[in-house]
Amino acid sequence: MISIRNVSKNFGSLKVLEDISMEIGQGDIFGIIGQSGAGKSTLLRCINGLEGYDQGSIEVDGKEISSLSKKELRATQKEMGMIFQNFNLLDRLDVYDNIALPLQFWKQKKNSPENKARIGELLELVGLEDKVHSYPRQLSGGQKQRVAIARALVLDPKILLCDEATSALDPRITKDILSLLLKINRELKLTIVVVTHQMEVVKQICNQVAFIKDGRSMAVGKPEELFVAPNEEIQAFVGESIECLPKTGRNIKLFFNSTESEDGVITKMARELDTDFSICQGKLEDFRGNILGSLVINIEPKDEESVLAFLKAHHVLWEVL
Amino acid sequence: MYEVIAKATWQTVYMVVGSTFFSVILGFIPAIVLTLTAPDGLRPNKVIYGLLDLLVNTFRSFPFIILMVIVIPFTRLLAGKAIGTKAALVPLTISAIPFIARVIESALRGVDSGLIEAARSFGASDPQIILRVYLKEAFPAILSGITLTMISLIGYSAMGGAIGAGGLGDVAIRYGYQAYKMPYLIVTSLILIVFVQLIQMIGNTLFKRLS
Repeated sequence: MISIRNVSKNFGSLKVLEDISMEIGQGDIFGIIGQSGAGKSTLLRCINGLEGYDQGSIEVDGKEISSLSKKELRATQKEMGMIFQNFNLLDRLDVYDNIALPLQFWKQKKNSPENKARIGELLELVGLEDKVHSYPRQLSGGQKQRVAIARALVLDPKILLCDEATSALDPRITKDILSLLLKINRELKLTIVVVTHQMEVVKQICNQVAFIKDGRSMAVGKPEELFVAPNEEIQAFVGESIECLPKTGRNIKLFFNSTESEDGVITKMARELDTDFSICQGKLEDFRGNILGSLVINIEPKDEESVLAFLKAHHVLWEVL
Repeated sequence: MYEVIAKATWQTVYMVVGSTFFSVILGFIPAIVLTLTAPDGLRPNKVIYGLLDLLVNTFRSFPFIILMVIVIPFTRLLAGKAIGTKAALVPLTISAIPFIARVIESALRGVDSGLIEAARSFGASDPQIILRVYLKEAFPAILSGITLTMISLIGYSAMGGAIGAGGLGDVAIRYGYQAYKMPYLIVTSLILIVFVQLIQMIGNTLFKRLS
């Protein structure tokens, strides 16, 4: 759907994007995560042509964005709805007119019967049927983002781009908006690209994630793989520290793909090897409803060999810290 | 006295309303060009922005009484004569254009850049962004800018006497100041105060209702 190959972009001497590549498939909810200033929002703007890039290629639906004429670019932008951190609704238009605005950009009558029906459906989808004639200042942050989502969908796009869409919302509202995005992905078969600095967003809805740091792509993959067994860069971003682990003995980190495998193995190991160990750290995380976890145990150095052999035999992923 | 003041009041209203009308129409063009070509505009262009910016500043720096004299040939060309109430519309409009252009420009540039970006992301063309986003969102601010312009035009119109345009300012100077007729001075001042209050009140009400 979207393929990004070796894209670089500079602002003067500042490298904003450096050799970024990733493939975003049809129907994906693709997360682009990183700290502020990492270049992730710039990358998103390059995808829909709001900004240009210096090198590399971005293809959307087989069309190279940088080679499109102004008219072709507009037509491609029609295929990509976008929502923003600050919602970007027009204060002087009510909810209906805000949603209808993109239709008017495409020379459609906002009050034609089919458009009335279309906007009615969208309002129902985002759960704001009773706010048709409210103005943005009368709405809460979550409601404003719902209006923005309806507006982004009104031209019936194939892709929805979300730029820090939940960053200005509190955790409970964030959750609601994320479930709405999931619903849109499932019901409308929309490809969604989510730029965020919030780990929770990626865990809850993304099936693929790219980790961006200083304009470079550090890792691309499934969130459960990248976050359950993180490399150093991701660990630094997550802020997970291993400093609180015991200094003596051996610390071993085990990874579990589901809860079932976990409870068996640990107790079984203690029984079979007739050994003692302490559990120092444990974490279970919800990835789109999939529970995955890791556990750090501390063992005596003399037991290391037998424990590792046991883990290998039971197909448990592990790492000595 | 009644006749003199009634005539002068009408002349002032004529000059202020007329020059506001023309300067708003003509001031919109440089305001939009300035907004578009500004460094953070839709079509940044240093040369056009720089030149227009300089032009606007130059015209704004002329004291009105001097501008009135400088543009006399142009006034004659447009109005057919260089003196009279109708002729005064020309220098008044010319002096108000750069002012209103600045006022509208700052109203337009006050529109959140996020809205412009959102509109672009839906494939809006530049004219659509100007019409449906910039002007729509900035409308209340533009109205209060027009109010401001109108009030300063009342001040300028008082100088119209210098080219025989008449008006309340002219009566105040000739009858009140030069001929020591205190009642003229007081009545003309009172009418001007009422005008300013009225315009400001209408402006504020519209601003509140629209924003």
